[in-house]
Amino acid sequence: MSLNLVEKFKDKQILSRLKNRDKEAFIKIYDENVEEIHRFVYFKIGNREEANDLTSMIFLKTWNYIQNKTLVDAKTLRALLYKISRTSIVDYYRENGSKMTVSLDDEDNNIDVIDETENPSERLDQQSNLALIKRMLPLLKEEYREVIIMKFINDLSLDEIADISGKTKGNIRVLLHRSLNALKELVEKERPL
Amino acid sequence: MTDQELIAKLNSLNKISPDQNWLKSNRELLLSQISNSGAEKLAVWKIILIDFSSALKSASQPVYALGVFVLLLVGSVFYSQQIFAQAKPNDSLYIARIISEKLKLNTTFNAQERDMLAVQFATSHAQDISTVLSDPQFNTEENKDQVEKLNHSFKEEVNTVKDRISRLPAKVKKAPVALLVATGSEVIIADNAKDGERIEIAEKAQPTLEATSSNLAASSSVKIENVESDANEANVILDEATKLFDSKDYTKASSKLKEVDEIIK
Repeated sequence: MSLNLVEKFKDKQILSRLKNRDKEAFIKIYDENVEEIHRFVYFKIGNREEANDLTSMIFLKTWNYIQNKTLVDAKTLRALLYKISRTSIVDYYRENGSKMTVSLDDEDNNIDVIDETENPSERLDQQSNLALIKRMLPLLKEEYREVIIMKFINDLSLDEIADISGKTKGNIRVLLHRSLNALKELVEKERPL
Repeated sequence: MTDQELIAKLNSLNKISPDQNWLKSNRELLLSQISNSGAEKLAVWKIILIDFSSALKSASQPVYALGVFVLLLVGSVFYSQQIFAQAKPNDSLYIARIISEKLKLNTTFNAQERDMLAVQFATSHAQDISTVLSDPQFNTEENKDQVEKLNHSFKEEVNTVKDRISRLPAKVKKAPVALLVATGSEVIIADNAKDGERIEIAEKAQPTLEATSSNLAASSSVKIENVESDANEANVILDEATKLFDSKDYTKASSKLKEVDEIIK
């Protein structure tokens, strides 16, 4: 009960501060979400430099949106960031005229992996897993890749994914099931025996 | 590979993060961009105000609404009567005064207090009517209808006062009054507080008790007589006030009503 109240208080507080054009409040939103949004963009377009530029643009667009439109609930901020990310990615595809079809970054432009384990064999295993998934993800259908990123990489709830993608929770469940099967199939094919 | 293993591998991808230098530089860039579009650092008082209003809003709505309702109810009962007390019968706020008085009467549970309040309110209304009618700017041919209504209201208020006053002594009479009568060797206690009135006879009275009991008996009888005489006196004064009012001597009628008010208090 008291935890709920604290959460409600924080939501109302951040929303009011954003409406009052408080830059510190927005920077707080940025700090809390930037890595997640960058990851989403990166796995969608497959290029780190482009992901950096797009992420930067997404936050600026979000700021402008909050100032010009009515945001009723602070809980929808995360969903708003994802929605703006999706439309920005669509714009990006339209401008560049192509979609990610081959892989996530090239070999000499690897992304940083913060690995907490000290065990070299585990680390190697982790790297190989990452490499395999990285190679397979771009081969998935666009909508499959998107739900996998949101659910299994960025840990969004079914409700949040449904809200962002404009689908029902049931649809998202089905989509997740199919996308996991598709990815598993691709990984099984590629995996050395 | 099972689904669980695949999901675990996907989960491990959330450790991928952008370059820390880029994060810092982009933060600075974003700050300057939003500052250019009107973002500012809020003043401390504004933050306190936002925190306060957020705390209020975060209380669950039904509880909040109930709290406000209770506050309004209590406030209206205790303060509205004082706020509207100055409203005169020709004011638009007079109806608010009547409502707030009715509210106060209905929330007074002691019957005797309620009668007292009703007498005070009705006397006050009659006084106000007299005051309004004594105003030559109001009591004109143009306001004939209103004057007629007020004349009628005055009679009603006087009748209310009489009716409520007639109830007051009856209640006082029924209040527990112990009557002690001391005879040579016995003390008789008569108590009319209950329906089955009782008489107790005690043995030999002390000389001091004798004196006390006779005093008490005397004072009780005097009290009842006083209340009855007060009521009679008030009725007489009310009749006088009505006569004065009928003869359009509003100022004197008003001062007579003040006397009734003082007697009742």
